[in-house]
Order: sequence, then structure tokens, then C-alpha cells
Amino acid sequence: MPRRSSTSESPPRGEIVTTTELIVTGATTKRRFGVRRAGRRTAPALYLFPVPALIIYIAFFVVPTLQTFQYSITNWDGYSPNFDYVGLKNFGRAFTGDSLFTNALVNNMKFMGVVVIGQTAVALTMAVLLMRNTKTNVFLRALYFFPTILSSVSVGFIWKFVYDPNYGVINSILGSVGVQGPGFLGDATAAIYWLAVTQIWFHAGMMIVIFVAGLQAIPAELYEAAEVDGAGPWRRFTSITWPLIAPAMSIVVAYTTIQSFKAFDVVLSISGNPPSRALDILSTRIYSTFANSQFGYAAAESVLFIIFILVTVFVLRRFLRLIQRGES
Amino acid sequence: MSAFEKWQPTRRQLFGAAGALGIGALLASCAGPGTGTGGGGGGGSELKPGGKVTGEISFAHWRGEDREAFAKLIEQFGEKYPDTTITQDISTSNDYAAQAFRRLRDGKIGDVAVAGRGDQFEQFTKTGLFEPLDDTGLTEKYTASLIEVGAKDGKQYGYPYQIVYNVPIANMDILSSVGVTEAPTYWDAYIDMLDKIKAKGITPIAFPGADAGNAGQLMNSMVMNLAPSDDVFTQMQEGKTKCTDDWFVEMLKLYAQLGAYVQPNAAGTAVEPAQQMFNTGKAAILSTGSYHIAAVRALGATFPIDLVPARTNAEGEGKYEGIYNATFILGINSKGDNKPTALAWLEFLSDPKNAGQYGDETAQHTSVAGVTYTNPDLKRIAPWLDKKLVIAPRFQFLDLDMRNAVEAAGVAALTGTSPEKAAEDAQKIVDERIAAQG
Repeated sequence: MPRRSSTSESPPRGEIVTTTELIVTGATTKRRFGVRRAGRRTAPALYLFPVPALIIYIAFFVVPTLQTFQYSITNWDGYSPNFDYVGLKNFGRAFTGDSLFTNALVNNMKFMGVVVIGQTAVALTMAVLLMRNTKTNVFLRALYFFPTILSSVSVGFIWKFVYDPNYGVINSILGSVGVQGPGFLGDATAAIYWLAVTQIWFHAGMMIVIFVAGLQAIPAELYEAAEVDGAGPWRRFTSITWPLIAPAMSIVVAYTTIQSFKAFDVVLSISGNPPSRALDILSTRIYSTFANSQFGYAAAESVLFIIFILVTVFVLRRFLRLIQRGES
Repeated sequence: MSAFEKWQPTRRQLFGAAGALGIGALLASCAGPGTGTGGGGGGGSELKPGGKVTGEISFAHWRGEDREAFAKLIEQFGEKYPDTTITQDISTSNDYAAQAFRRLRDGKIGDVAVAGRGDQFEQFTKTGLFEPLDDTGLTEKYTASLIEVGAKDGKQYGYPYQIVYNVPIANMDILSSVGVTEAPTYWDAYIDMLDKIKAKGITPIAFPGADAGNAGQLMNSMVMNLAPSDDVFTQMQEGKTKCTDDWFVEMLKLYAQLGAYVQPNAAGTAVEPAQQMFNTGKAAILSTGSYHIAAVRALGATFPIDLVPARTNAEGEGKYEGIYNATFILGINSKGDNKPTALAWLEFLSDPKNAGQYGDETAQHTSVAGVTYTNPDLKRIAPWLDKKLVIAPRFQFLDLDMRNAVEAAGVAALTGTSPEKAAEDAQKIVDERIAAQG
């Protein structure tokens, strides 16, 4: 019996198509979902099961998201019963008439740059060092993972005291050896980078776990073969580890980027509310705008926020892919 | 087999159903908050003194730290009116601002509710949420000069209940040791006091420059006798005065002068370490306000504490001696359906004995007249209630971005930025906000 060759071709009338065939061939464009395999039928009532979840999803995610887009073109203050539609005015204002927003954007890009590079580098280095499942490595991985399970507000407060120029642990140690410590969060130029250090400390443990999982999935035979061929540790890393860690790297970079934009509670707990201009990032700026009874404008900022994240993640992943292709 | 049992949806049908849900969601989103016709006064029951006090009411506020104090008062209210129940609906202040308003507007919570001075009180009166209280006979129970911010267009909509003094507080043991027993009344005397403290090896002022909200309090006393008018920040918000005006730059120069008397790296100091410096005697003055006295006592401070406003006037001059602020304004929700009980609760809180109990337990004064306090700190600073006070100017700003920018200019000048540059930076934000408001 000749096999069907076209994926768009429908099966002969009356022929039962198995699930595997559907997946592999995509055999038909109008097939009955109730038919799974010969003699089996999905009870229609089963279609009702996702409905509660769907309703919750729509009510608490889809509707608010759509409302954000709606309000972003209004001048709603958040409490008045009425508002006017202002078109794209809010979006124009964000870029041309609001230095607080552009300041937050610049701060966020600096923050993200340091966090993405720093956190990825630290996590990858630690993962390479702790890849083998020895008792010490497992203990150290758990230790480095520990900050991840702390609440972000606790982390903010811990680091607030670490960075305190008078009582903080760093300046106390430096002071005990006669060195004048930095101003940390009081230094308008460097504050955002100190904040990035906190973020790296907070989340690097999670990234180590992801990298370790990725590294352990690389077949040991590849390293053995490379060793036989005389490849040193650096060559093995650049020729085997780096290209094969790509899936884990993509996850880490995407996750870290999104986290860098969404770092809100840590920032607010470390800097107080409102944050100083030096520590104001997009998420805290949006919050301040909401608190300032500018719901329409804050919604526009939120839409831009989503766009920035999407574009940044897309660009970074493309960039990463190019680097890894080049290396391999 | 029924038709339903026979039904087997096609992919197209499923996509259609998903599309219908999406359109439904879109329509639902268009019918969200802000598109209704809520607001406006009226609704609920009538507010008249002498109604039957019974049933349940909700008391909505954000004062989580006052929960216990209010709980005791509610218990006593229940003894007086056995057929009543009062539930405290407490949110954080931010949640209260963002969400509670809608629930108050629907009458779901807050038969008696609080509003923050400024923007929130404006919202509540603008939308008719607060009932006028002029006919309730309660206004006379309060100190008239302290409840002005609860009035609008000649009507009293609420009573600012808790009174705080947003001026620096001092360790009077240290001040006494340099010969200062009362707050200096002019700038040169103030600086002289700071010099003497510094000469003793003590940091004169603990300044939490990393905490914008607390750092901004210093501007109240700095501006009170320098500003060309009492409503100077209202005018600034309307573009009628500017940060680059001479008086403001002059004030920033005084801020810069204070920079020599604060701890190192003041811009990076959070409020908790600043409190600790004050508590341990490493600093003589905490620049924030009387609302931190309780926190400092909780840290173990036993020294006497008094207020030392930074008065910028010359000797023998100066219109005001200090600053006060109303932390929250009590009002009755026009949408509430049990107004007699709500009014009775407000009346209960307005009683001097009960207000005194609240004040002692929260370590803050109230605006109720004729209250006797037993808390030693309250007794010590009680004379300030009779001084020439002005309500905290910083809260004239209804726009928070403007306020933060203006206050940040003070912090910047104090920590090394030139006053002129700090003023220009602040004015840029103010101009942008004015332009945005059209």
C-alpha cells in the first residue's frame, strides 16, 4: 500500500488516523479532535474541564493586559469616573518630555548589562567548577542556591545594611584597616552598579543550577575524545562546553534579562520609596507613576516596558546564537 | 446518544470559541474601572445625629501600627454600644491609595475611613466620598487650627486626627551639655549649636539621605520662614514660582551649610542607621520628625527628646516656630449604609479621654482639644501644640514627582552638589510635569 506523501493530504474517508500519525504527518487540516485512535472517543464533557482555569486566566491576566493597552491611550487618573482618549500622546511624552522615564530606562539598561554579563559569567564559572556531583560540590551548590529562597524584601534589607556607609559590614571592615570605604548607594554614579551586585548575589544560585544541569547533559565521551586528541581545559571549554551549553545559556540570558527589568521589590526595599534618581529603574518608575495618580501614563509606560523586555531578550538571544555559532 | 455526546469540535470550532472568549475579554476590559459612572455624593443612609447606634460598620485605614490601639477603643465602644460591631479593614498605605478607594466608593468597606492629606483628601472630596460633618457637632471638639486641612470650600469633610511634628528631634542630654536647653530660634544660633556639638566629637545631625521620604522632611522647617508665601509649593506646582528663584537657591545654600554637620556619606545613609546613630548618642539630632520618637524608644533610647526645627530666619524674625502635619483625616463614607453607628464611632474617637488613650498608645498627639497625655514624650512636646505652627509645606505638592524632585534638590545641595545646579535639575522635572498636565 503506497504511503501518503503530502502532509496536507486528507486521509481517505473512513480511515482512522492515530495520534502519532497526526503529529508526524500533520495529515489533515480538518480533523475531529475527539478521535484519538480506533474505537476511542473523548467525552465532550472533558472540554469543560479547562473552563475554570480559562476563566481565571482571562479574568486575571487577559483582561488586565488588554485594559493596560486600553488605558495607555487615555489620560485616566485612576479614580475619576471618566477619562479622555489621548492617542499616542503618552508614548511620545515618555521619550520626549519625561526625563524621569528616560533616566529610569538608562539606569535599567546599565543594571541589566551588569547583571546579565556578571550573573551569567559568575554562574557559568561556578557551574563548571561545581559540575561533578561530589559531596563538597553538592553542599556548595546548595549554599550558593540559598539566597534564591530568601524573600526579596529580606535581601533588600540585608544589603541595605551591608552597604550602609556608617554601620555596614564592608565599610566597617575597611575602616578597621584604615581605609575609607565607598559611599555605595549614596554615590549617584555608582549606585546602580552596587544594586546590580545585590541582584547577582540574589539570583546567581538559580543560574548555577541551570548551568550545572546543562553541563551534566553533555556526553562525557566528547571530553574524553578531546582529551585523547590533546585538547586542554580551555580548548575543551570553547569547543565542547560553550557550544553545547547553548540551550541552558539561552534560558539563563532570557531569565536574567527579564529579572533585571522586573527587579522591583529588591530595589524598593534597598532604596526606600520612592527610590533616588540613581536607583530608579523602569519598574519602580511605573510604580511611582501609578502612585502619582497617572494611571493612563503609567499604563503607557507598562506597555513600553513589555516592548523593551521583548526586544532586549530577542536581540540578546540572537547575539548569543551568533557568538556560539562563531565559536563552534 | 445525545447531540451533545456526539459533538466533536473541529479545530476551527475550537479556534472560534477561543476567538469568542478573546472578544469577550476585550469587551470586558473596556468595561473596567474608570468607565463606570461611580463617584458623586449621596448613596447610603442619611447622616444625622441621634440615629440608632446598632449593627456592623467597617473602619478602613492604613495604620497597621495603630491596630492594637484602635482595637482597644473598639472594645470600649462595644461596651458602650453592645449591639454594634466594628471591623478594622487595614491596607498598606500604597494599597489603600490604589485599591481601597474603589471599595470605599462602592460602600463595601469604610463606613468610617481615613484619607491622607493632599491628593487623597482631594480625591475623596472631589468624588463626594466624604460626608460634610458641619452639622454633626463634632467640629467643636477639635483644635480649630489643627483641622483646617480637613476642610474644603468652607465645609468640614474630615478631622485630621493624629498630629506629628515634621521637624528634627534632638537628644536633649547632648544639647544641654553644650548649653542649649531650648530649640534655637534663628539660623546663626542653630549653626552655633551645631558647631558646639561637633566640637565635642559628636555628629550634630543624623541625616537619612538615602531615604527620600524621610530626608525630605527637613525641607519643612527650612522653608517655613524663607518662602515668600505660605502656599509656595502650591504655586510652584502651578508654575508661579520656581526652584531657580532666589529664595529657593538661598535655602539650598543653607542646606549646603548643613552639609558640614551631618555624618559622612549622608547621601547613602538609610533611615534605620540614622535612627541608630541618634539612639546610641553618636548623633545629637535626627533630621526626620516626632514620628520617629517611638521607633527610637523601641531601640532603647532613654534620653529626653525635644523638637529642634531648623529655623532659617534671622534673630527676632520668623513667622513660624515649627511644623505639624496630619497623618490621616477621619471621615464618614457617603456610601455607607449605617451612618448613625459610623457617626457614633467618630464621636467616640473625638472624645478627649479616648483621644488621649489613642495618643498615649501611639506616642503621637491628636487634634482633639483638651486632651491630657500621660506618655512622657508627649507631655514634653505638648507645649509645641500652642506654638506658631504651619502645616508641613512639603505636602502642598499634589504631584509626587515634583515633590520628590524639589526635595532631592535639598539632599543634593547638602551632599555636595552646587545649589544652583540642584535647583536647575529640580526645576527641569517641575517644568516637565507642568507641561504634562497641560
